[in-house]
Amino acid sequence: MNLAAQLPVLPVVIPLVTAPIAMLLPNGRAPWAFATIVSWLTFAACAFLLQAVLGAGVISYELGDWRPPLGIEYRIDLANALVLFLVSGIAAVVFPFAYRSVQLEIDARQTSFFYCALLICLTGLLGVTITGDAFNVFVFLEISSLATYALVAMGARRDRRALTAAFNYLIMGTIGASFFVIGVGLLYQATGTLNMVDMHDKLVGQSSRVIDAGFAFIVVGIGLKLAMFPMHLWLPGAYTYAPSAVSAFLAATATKVAVYVMIRFIDTVFGFQFEFLGAAFTWVFLPLGLAGMFIASLVAVFQDDIKRMLAYSSVGQIGYMLLGLSFGTVEGLTASLVHIFNHALMKGALFMAVACVVLRAGSHSVKAFAGLAKRMPFTTWAFIISGMSLIGVPLTVGFISKWYLLQASFAAGHWYAGFLIVASSLIAVLYVGRIVELMLLREPAEDGPYAIPAKDAPLSMLIPMWFLVLANIYFGLHTELTGGIASRAAEALMFMAGGAS
Amino acid sequence: MTDLQAVLTSPGVIVVLTALVGMGLGPTARAAVYLAGLAVSALVLVGYEQGLAISFALVDAPYLSVDLTPLRVDRLSFIFALIFHIAAALNVIYAWRISDRVQDVAGLAYAGAAIGGALAGDLLTLFVYWEITAIASAFLVFAPGTRESFGAGMRYLVVQILSGLFLLAGLVLFVSSGRGMAFEAMSLTAASGELDFAALALFLAFGIKAAFPFLHNWLQDSYPKASITGSVVLSAFTTKLAVYALARGFPGADPLIYIGAAMTVFPVFFALIENNLRKVLAYSLNNQVGFMVCAVGVGTELAINGAAAHAFVHIIYKALLFMSMGAVLYRTGTVKATELGGLYRTMPATAVFCIIGAMSISAFPLFSGFVAKSLTMSALGYEGLFFVWLVLLFASAGVLEHSGIKIPYFAFFGHDSGKRPKEAPPQMLVAMGVAAALCIGIGVFPQALYAILPYDVKYQPYTAAHVVTQMQLLLFATLAFALLIKFKLYPDEVASTNLDFDWFYRVPGRALAGWVSGASGATFNAFWAIFSGRVHAIMERIYAVHGPEGQMARSWPIGFMALWTAILLGFVLVIAFFA
Repeated sequence: MNLAAQLPVLPVVIPLVTAPIAMLLPNGRAPWAFATIVSWLTFAACAFLLQAVLGAGVISYELGDWRPPLGIEYRIDLANALVLFLVSGIAAVVFPFAYRSVQLEIDARQTSFFYCALLICLTGLLGVTITGDAFNVFVFLEISSLATYALVAMGARRDRRALTAAFNYLIMGTIGASFFVIGVGLLYQATGTLNMVDMHDKLVGQSSRVIDAGFAFIVVGIGLKLAMFPMHLWLPGAYTYAPSAVSAFLAATATKVAVYVMIRFIDTVFGFQFEFLGAAFTWVFLPLGLAGMFIASLVAVFQDDIKRMLAYSSVGQIGYMLLGLSFGTVEGLTASLVHIFNHALMKGALFMAVACVVLRAGSHSVKAFAGLAKRMPFTTWAFIISGMSLIGVPLTVGFISKWYLLQASFAAGHWYAGFLIVASSLIAVLYVGRIVELMLLREPAEDGPYAIPAKDAPLSMLIPMWFLVLANIYFGLHTELTGGIASRAAEALMFMAGGAS
Repeated sequence: MTDLQAVLTSPGVIVVLTALVGMGLGPTARAAVYLAGLAVSALVLVGYEQGLAISFALVDAPYLSVDLTPLRVDRLSFIFALIFHIAAALNVIYAWRISDRVQDVAGLAYAGAAIGGALAGDLLTLFVYWEITAIASAFLVFAPGTRESFGAGMRYLVVQILSGLFLLAGLVLFVSSGRGMAFEAMSLTAASGELDFAALALFLAFGIKAAFPFLHNWLQDSYPKASITGSVVLSAFTTKLAVYALARGFPGADPLIYIGAAMTVFPVFFALIENNLRKVLAYSLNNQVGFMVCAVGVGTELAINGAAAHAFVHIIYKALLFMSMGAVLYRTGTVKATELGGLYRTMPATAVFCIIGAMSISAFPLFSGFVAKSLTMSALGYEGLFFVWLVLLFASAGVLEHSGIKIPYFAFFGHDSGKRPKEAPPQMLVAMGVAAALCIGIGVFPQALYAILPYDVKYQPYTAAHVVTQMQLLLFATLAFALLIKFKLYPDEVASTNLDFDWFYRVPGRALAGWVSGASGATFNAFWAIFSGRVHAIMERIYAVHGPEGQMARSWPIGFMALWTAILLGFVLVIAFFA
């Protein structure tokens, strides 16, 4: 058995097998160091996988040598290879970053549990992405969600409200997962298979109420997981009260993976063969995406808690991804995939900057950001650059996203959507600009609860954070990885959807 | 990757990084490291093949694709990069233990940026180095720490940044008109005969740095107020980088001939009546750059050779003159002609070096100025530009008057001021000695210089006709000076302030700027008063809905969230059923 042949399974197996080991390690530095190394190994596996997929097109791996459709198939094409690369990459950056932040925010007796849960969460997210089996998606979705509930709840050491937030998240997440599994069950009823490609082949030409209902349950179930407006209400609480490192990790990965699942089901499983898809695009994804872009962004403007502000901004940004998806074109799908990647970079960096401030100021209220440039200049500029990326300033990844999205909306004939995209970017200018003004122009508090020592975050946090910040600029200048792969992936998805019949 | 390595080990980058490394060292270690860094960088430069150009894609995005050429070595850029190395090394020697940390670092970073700018093959790289030269050099003007030098430094910085902005504007116009960023020869007019604004913006950017007439005042304002070592460094790089940029971008642009001719003439008069000897040198610098600009405007191979050769030798002898005046300032505390005189008694070596520099700038045969200036004069002659040739001839005589004779005469001879300062410190003498040796060496062996000029040279400076013409000019000019002094007709050295064109933007210009800013502020306030009421009302409404207590931001109970989910499920089911 050579390792290269087993490469497709490694991204799941490495964190899954090592997670229990992390739990057995003594509390303190050991589980962190272990988890960090694991995250790097996983990232390496995903990077090799991406390279392999770039050469081979599609890689299919039969788990335990059971032939699909009976056995579980791991099916990696460009779309999920890109998402795997992203998720494991974010993990490889956030894990080393987490040490100091976790030391402060989490009960010392829980560190080994914490890193264990983090690894399980990573396993789940990668598994959801890599698998080609509809029920397997549900299993991994639950693995990652259960770990996430626990991680959010660990924020309770600093703020008891984390428990309520985790509880809300648990209930809503479970509703979403249940809807999803009901939908998969209905499709199984109609097709007798769980393999996605096989399911698609059997669905084509059928028309029944069972399939319609299955579609509705899946869209709503996954919509809840990806915080589609107005089912986003669990998200601000969870991101606000989770430990800062967890917020950074989740904001950059969890909803992105859910959006990917949505794309996978719409394009691979249903594959544009059904009239209800067009109707759902026009009546669900487009209006809800636009509503999220505006309403959630406006709410973000008035928040006085930075993490809550960024969380609402995430809901707005998910609106962009849904908008791209709703065009039902290759360009739209490309824009969505590109924004999945780019938004992870900017939101990850922003939440990391907040984590640095929490480390020094002990608070994520906007008041702690007053005069921050004088106290923590590196953190301040990391926030400003990633904030500009969030707005969509040229030379950053945010601009690339907006560019693809604008092109897609014009190509699809939705010219008004182009204007709305620009208008909602202006709201982002408001909520980012408000914080930038605070950081640069105000005087820092000399005493009181928000006084900060003039000491920047430790290097163990600054280096990973700036790594992401620079990625924001690098991928803003070089789009062959993001835009290039995303458009090839989108073409492949659409071709498979349209051409398989 | 190898491309990246090549760029990271290019001379400009090496020198700028060396400058930064020196920040943490003591004065002696710093000088040693700087000389070593310059030597390494010069070796790298000499090791390049001619015609080397390294390009890669800076931006490769769907909306824009930009190629950079951070390194281009051909004969034109080579000679400028080489002389910048020499000037930087001379200054390091000269400044050892004389200047301070800030000036040393800024001075070498400035030199490195000038080197990088000369080797830049695209406009963006040029812009970056252009701005570094502006910012680094401003520290040299600020260095004396007086109120006067602070004001001059600020004015200097504003003008330099303005030049950078023009460069940026030209760059943006170039890219947006689809011509890319390559820095190549261009024309001020498009093929249809209309003005090309992109090229015009670049022309202005270069023109400000080259101190074109009416754009020149920053030079005379700041150089005399800079520190002792500062003015030596300043004299070498800024204007010569601009000359290089003009030679690269606008060879043969006719306006340059007349701009250059004007530049050679008008500073002569100011220099004659000026009392501050460093300011005399600043005017003379202006005049010398005029020769180069004029040669660039002619644009033939011989003329470009003349501009490059002139820049090369000029940097050395102008630095030598500034160094000698710096030594005088260092020992006596003044460079005012009225307060100096008779210093040759106690500073003989400095006096000799100063005279060598003066003879070089006056283009005496066997000195470096002669072999360079005659290239330009011949190029004018071959092109039949007789009137311009006459103007430059007059200016050459003027150079002799103010730089060739006035500087050494009033500082070291003339009436005895009674000052008996010590000889200049040894490191200054070494630096001046090397510069003086180069002046004479190039004058005696011009073929060494001609070998590295941008085009092949088939020119023989030491013909009887050339030498005789030049000697006649020099002797008559000297005679004129002697007679004027003899009959007390030479403008007396008086401690006065001479008004130049800068009065127009210091007095009426300032009032105008104040008025414009006041008026625009008032207009804005008036408009804002109208809008702010409306905007306020709209914002209140948005806040009511989206604010922390608004419906959209409240933390709703779980049941409510579940209800939303159910509603949405019903909605999607309906759509799926009826689609």
